[in-house]
Amino acid sequence: MGIGIVLSDLIFPLFEFISPLVPGEIFPYFFNGKTPSLQRALLSSLIVTSIAGFLGTFLLVRNLAMIGDGLSHVSFGGIVIGIVLGASSPLWYALMASIIASASIYELQSREILTGDAAIAIFMTGMLALGLVILKVSGRAMTTEIESYLFGSQLLIDPASLDLITYISLISLVSLFFIRYGLLAITIDPLSAKVQGLPVKGIGLMFSIITASVVVSMVKIVGALLVTALLVTPAATAQLIGRSFKSCLIWSQIFGFLSVIIGLYISAEYGAGAGSSIALVAATIFVMIAITTEILNNFSTIDN
Amino acid sequence: MTLGLAKGNSLESPILEIDNLSVIRSGKLILKNINMTVNKGEFIGIVGPNGSGKSTLLLTILGVLKAQEGSIRIYDSKPMSRDLYGKIGWVAQAASNLPRNVRITIKELVYLGTVNAKNMFSFSNKNRRERVKDAIKMVDIKDIENFDVNRVSGGQRQRAVIARALATEAEFILLDEPLVGMDNESRNSLLKLLDSFCHENGKTIIMVSHDLSAIRQTAHRMVFLEETIKFDGMADKFPDLESLANLRGIAHVHEGEHAN
Repeated sequence: MGIGIVLSDLIFPLFEFISPLVPGEIFPYFFNGKTPSLQRALLSSLIVTSIAGFLGTFLLVRNLAMIGDGLSHVSFGGIVIGIVLGASSPLWYALMASIIASASIYELQSREILTGDAAIAIFMTGMLALGLVILKVSGRAMTTEIESYLFGSQLLIDPASLDLITYISLISLVSLFFIRYGLLAITIDPLSAKVQGLPVKGIGLMFSIITASVVVSMVKIVGALLVTALLVTPAATAQLIGRSFKSCLIWSQIFGFLSVIIGLYISAEYGAGAGSSIALVAATIFVMIAITTEILNNFSTIDN
Repeated sequence: MTLGLAKGNSLESPILEIDNLSVIRSGKLILKNINMTVNKGEFIGIVGPNGSGKSTLLLTILGVLKAQEGSIRIYDSKPMSRDLYGKIGWVAQAASNLPRNVRITIKELVYLGTVNAKNMFSFSNKNRRERVKDAIKMVDIKDIENFDVNRVSGGQRQRAVIARALATEAEFILLDEPLVGMDNESRNSLLKLLDSFCHENGKTIIMVSHDLSAIRQTAHRMVFLEETIKFDGMADKFPDLESLANLRGIAHVHEGEHAN
């Protein structure tokens, strides 16, 4: 029995309990248990959003906002290599490729050889190109399987995928929780952290591995194009109103969950794509909060 | 000015011993034949022109840069060795060193000073919270402890970074240009604060600064650095501009441009 089933058994009754309160015609099916695949879609979206919010807050500080987009293209290269080599589970190849790229990006950045975005751009284009070249040379076409890794198939989460997502998210969440102060210290001021005796390299590597794992597991759900939305937008919105690091972490969770719930509602009721609806809601929340805080700030300066 | 020595600390072994140190950075000789001994409770100001190796010296003491020749012993250990963790506090130029795109309060920043290799996985405890409280109190920023580090003045941010170093329980504090971007008033009160650390708390301080006149009034001992040590002595014996020019081997007509 996988961990996904254990978690489902715990959470699904809760979904079903609140399902009478859920508005809409189709949206309640995400909750009421008549379509287990939709329940799985909701659960996996919430799990991924939660870890993305925490991770995104750290990524923003390190100027790695685009790493979600970058690593998802890297993992595309990995997937293609895996498929051409005849691997039964190409996801492992994607994971390896992403971890190597993520650690390299971290190294390039902390040695001040390249900025974060330049390093991301190199790996993103390089691995995407490698994947495309291998596809052509091996005479394969872009199958739906390969495509699903790039664009996601959020509403088609089978129990095995839920297992994988749950494992990776849970391990990442726990690791991130334990290294949070060390990670914040090495991010804010690496030299001071080193003088204090913190294992700067070790923490950095661990953060790279967590980032890569989370991105790879997310790509299958929200798709490469929308990974960035969940990683960055809720965390960025949180920075608009958070006054401390801790409050930013909490706000990023709130905005992330809001985006998923409203996004899935729109997608269900109006037949829009789930991933794009969530990303759109996240961006809309950001714009609304940005405008509101700007107006409020202006008022308070006038008062003074 | 002799307080640090008068306390009788000369009996203890020195905190820092630099012996015939040379450092090469990107193929260029930056420091040559540096010899220096620092005792407990001293407040040493290091001055010198741009590119004279002041920051290089600090980074070599910290162990970030490697010595080409010679040796450094801190508390009788090599730089960056395990025994030194928590004993040394590093205060970089705060204004340039904190990332801008993060919301972090002064209290949270200072708390990061209590994190080390041993306790980084454990939960916060009373002792660590006390250290944060004390450090914030010492630098007198209690009233702004919940403010965003990026939204306070340069002087306040500098105090926050110093509090972070104090929260590590460091006995030996190295500061790189802490006075940059500060107005006169906050500069003076910061210098007074650092001075009290040495006298009242037994801390030892090495501070690098451009601001000759400010540091000369506070530091007990002055070091003029320009590739080698050109002067090392009590602050009141620090040479005037003309002798300084002679020390550096330049004609005194240039003194006005160089001697800051």
